[in-house]
Amino acid sequence: MNNITIVWIAIPFLLGFSIFLAPKINRHLTLWGVLASAAYSIQLFLEPSPLKLNLLDNFGVKLVADQLSAYFILTNAIVTAAVIIYCWSSDKTYFFYAQILIIHGSLNAAFICADFISLYVALEVSGIAAFLLISYPRSDRSIWVGLRYLLISNTAMLFYLVGAVLVYEKHHAFNFAGLKDSPPEALALIFLGLLIKAGIFVSGLWLPLTHSESETPVSALLSGVVVKASVLPLLRCAVVSEEIEAIVRIFGVGTALMGVSYAVFEKDTKRMLAFHTISQLGFILAAPAVGGFYAMTHGLVKSSLFLMAGSLPSRSFKELKYKPINTKIWIPLVIASLSISGFPLLAGFGAKALTTKDLLPWQVICMNIAAVGTAISFAKFIFLPHTKDAEINTKPGFWIAITLLISGLFVGNIVYLEAYSLDKIIKALITIAIGWSIYHLIIKKVSVYIPRLFEQIEHLIGVMSLTLVLLFWMALA
Amino acid sequence: MLEACVLATILCGFFGIILKKNLVMKIISMDVMSTGVIAFYVLIASIEGLLTPIISEGKKATYADPVPQAVILTAIVIGFSIQALMLVGVMKLARDNPTLESSEIEKNNTP
Repeated sequence: MNNITIVWIAIPFLLGFSIFLAPKINRHLTLWGVLASAAYSIQLFLEPSPLKLNLLDNFGVKLVADQLSAYFILTNAIVTAAVIIYCWSSDKTYFFYAQILIIHGSLNAAFICADFISLYVALEVSGIAAFLLISYPRSDRSIWVGLRYLLISNTAMLFYLVGAVLVYEKHHAFNFAGLKDSPPEALALIFLGLLIKAGIFVSGLWLPLTHSESETPVSALLSGVVVKASVLPLLRCAVVSEEIEAIVRIFGVGTALMGVSYAVFEKDTKRMLAFHTISQLGFILAAPAVGGFYAMTHGLVKSSLFLMAGSLPSRSFKELKYKPINTKIWIPLVIASLSISGFPLLAGFGAKALTTKDLLPWQVICMNIAAVGTAISFAKFIFLPHTKDAEINTKPGFWIAITLLISGLFVGNIVYLEAYSLDKIIKALITIAIGWSIYHLIIKKVSVYIPRLFEQIEHLIGVMSLTLVLLFWMALA
Repeated sequence: MLEACVLATILCGFFGIILKKNLVMKIISMDVMSTGVIAFYVLIASIEGLLTPIISEGKKATYADPVPQAVILTAIVIGFSIQALMLVGVMKLARDNPTLESSEIEKNNTP
């Protein structure tokens, strides 16, 4: 298994570079790389004990592959496969597919590494590949969005590097476990980098613009897996000590509430989905021990929703009310929306139940509010008008990609079958009912404009310093 | 003292990113910041000694820690490549926004 792990890490990069040598078979090579990841993650699920590799020496690369990373790797494989199938018959060049494979490989590496420097390299490689994918259309706007992403993420990673060397100074090793007895500055700086990179809490407000202005398949990839590359290390750090876990949980709750309150009032479909990604990352962090399964259901749902939002006739909810959508698209849209609101029979229900079970008492109220907010914001999709003969413009690969993602939601149910007890089902149904009635009674009628003040680049970078102060204060306390 | 200077460099770079209006200046500030970070790694490496760790007949003395230096080499390469990419992006943007003022570009390109 150790050798397989090393080969598997190298596969996407090897195939990615071979695309440049044999551009004709680009899509097939990409798909093969993704299949290798899927097979590896299934193998990892069957592995009884976590796999620990220590390459070279005490200072070398440390890898840890366990069930938690298996969930993330499987998400990565399914979402990337769906994106490739979606783009199969489009006019994307081989460069696009090579970047997809490289981002896939770097995310895989980020999901199994266990020391700060390998993580840094994996995150930066994924950042560069994400920039290239965002600015692939080469329009002024896409270049600007990409530049903004690169500037913010690179600044955050510089803070992270300072934190990493402080850990080294204390322990003479870079592994995650060293965070325990390190000075509070190290914790604050490393967390700042990871939180910004993942788009969590106030410093994560770069995410809505980046995810909503990218092309449809790219936003599906970004929202589905790329942000999770920095969430997994946060989950791993949470295991190190109780104080760190408390910080992670606080940020989880704050993020869930902030993201959902933006999402409820948003009038643009793709921006609503992007804000919702922020809130769902909060759910993953709120219960670090069981975050893996939640991350997987969220990745499947969010990428399918982004793909579908790209096929709707308009991006504005207001216009969609007058332009009925085709029932064929409406059905998967409803299934995905119900899953993310936690409706029984879909994987979202099991994931929500599992997360709720692991919450601390003070978190419960806040997370229930966030769950109601989720139901409110997705009621916007569910209650869209639809007819049978509305025009439909989907790409050929669209239906295969959607079927793959949605069937993942049904199969995901088997992970946590204990969720199907009467009280949990009733609770889920009540949450959705409250959300839908609030939507019909209040949200549908009011129109609130939320200013985009905090999404300007200066403010985003300025907020970094405030977050740093906050983190430092939390680490000292 | 040296540590304070290095940290001041990092902060100068960071404030440059916030305060400078020109996009190229922002990128240069980012580079100043990364220079500070690199210097910090070198400083940490030299806490225990300054000598290069090479086996030789010469005098025995305390060696500099090679690990942070080796590690920061990766970060230098990554930082340099990101900077190159960003400057290419700025070149493309400069065709339509010759002043390269970030607030103007932001206004033109946000929906």
